[in-house]
Amino acid sequence: MTLSPDEIITVTLWGVPINATLLFTWIVMAVLTGASMLITRNLRPDVPPNRWRTALEVVVQGIQNQIAEIAQGPSRHLLSFVGTLFLFVAGSNLLLVIPGFRPPTSSLSTTTALALSVLVAVPLFGISRRGVGGYLQSYLRPSPVMLPFNIIAEASRGISLAIRLYGNIMSGAVIAAILLSVAPFFFPVVMDLLGLLTGMIQAYIFAILATVYISSATAPQTLSSPQKDAQ
Amino acid sequence: MRWRKPRRAGEIMSIDWITVAAQIANFLVLVWLLKRFLYRPILDGIDAREAEITERMTAATRAKDEAVAAEAAYQAKRAALASEQAQIAEAARHKAQQERDALLAEAHDRIDRERAAWQAHQDAEAQLFATKLQRAGGHALLEMTRKAVRDLAETSLEAQMAAHMGTKLAAMKDDLTHAAGEAHEAIITSHMSLPEAAQDAFRTELAQNFPQVAPRFETDLAQAPGVAVQLGGAQVVWTVDSYIEGLGAALNEHLSRSHDTRLGVA
Repeated sequence: MTLSPDEIITVTLWGVPINATLLFTWIVMAVLTGASMLITRNLRPDVPPNRWRTALEVVVQGIQNQIAEIAQGPSRHLLSFVGTLFLFVAGSNLLLVIPGFRPPTSSLSTTTALALSVLVAVPLFGISRRGVGGYLQSYLRPSPVMLPFNIIAEASRGISLAIRLYGNIMSGAVIAAILLSVAPFFFPVVMDLLGLLTGMIQAYIFAILATVYISSATAPQTLSSPQKDAQ
Repeated sequence: MRWRKPRRAGEIMSIDWITVAAQIANFLVLVWLLKRFLYRPILDGIDAREAEITERMTAATRAKDEAVAAEAAYQAKRAALASEQAQIAEAARHKAQQERDALLAEAHDRIDRERAAWQAHQDAEAQLFATKLQRAGGHALLEMTRKAVRDLAETSLEAQMAAHMGTKLAAMKDDLTHAAGEAHEAIITSHMSLPEAAQDAFRTELAQNFPQVAPRFETDLAQAPGVAVQLGGAQVVWTVDSYIEGLGAALNEHLSRSHDTRLGVA
């Protein structure tokens, strides 16, 4: 049994082997982009919104409200990044119900790529909001002694993000595959339903954690005073 | 679809770094694509709708303010019109009162004038009636007197007048002689021509008292029934006027007494 879709070579383009992770990633990208283009192609202020556009507005505004709730401030600059994280992970996990589809998030390479993206995005957003000096000073707080621990904490965030998502999705797929060989009719269906639920939860958790990391890097640092501590 | 060669158990969690790099690129492309085709159109649409709603609410607020201002202006105009209406009504009432007073005064004046005219007409009618009554009464009285004298004394009224005048002339002989002066003619005027017997009686009476005076008989329709003797500057008159006046006074007294009696009964 193959555990990672990285090992499945689906096609070879110009001599380059394309594994299942990349192929299914493109499928997810095509579905998300195509649906977005279809729904927003006639979007004009003078045209009343239809039910698809309203549903999309609910999704986008829901993501934006969640980001605003966590970031406690302007959220639109985070929407593209965090929203895409959520939609990509959720879309990959939802397409699990299609027979033969291997979610890209069950590949450690994909989750690592997403975690690296978050790792890079955190300092980028922090620097863009607070400047280079302001961001780097956050590693020296509360004292310069904490610098190595802050660096380790930053790295461990990415690793935990990647492993958490990979472990949950991959384990669901593996369990479904095992149960399929043991009891081919009933249990795989139940496990796929459970996988849908855990997949959505994982997408939510991944996006929320990314938002928390980025917003902690972009939030202005406040110095605690004795009076404030007394309160 | 083909499979790579099986990995060892320790390679289950291996990372294909080429795939990682490709997935990072895929993710960045997806970020751009979704930003281009999802977030921006949706957020722009939401912003446009919010702007439109804000604009409509602003327009509605402005329209409401305008409506409130228009209502206030209308109320002020209505109050001004009510005040003007009250002033016009007061002026009309005052003018009507003045016209009413003027019409009443004119009506009273006209009534007074008509009443005065009617009173004058009544007085004239009464005067005319009194004159006619007096004249008719005089004739009737004269005729009755004449008849009574003829029936009782078997003589004429004119003879009795002559006898009466003779008596008066005798009584006033001295005064008349003095008043007559150098006059040689006595003018005896009557309403109608006197009978010959009466004329003879007058001649006899004058001859006894004033022998130098000759009588001359004349008639005057304007004179009341009776006879007047003018001798020089003196005149001795006997007519039925005093009797008729007495008759008129008696009639008036009787009529006024009857009128007072009717009013008392009423």
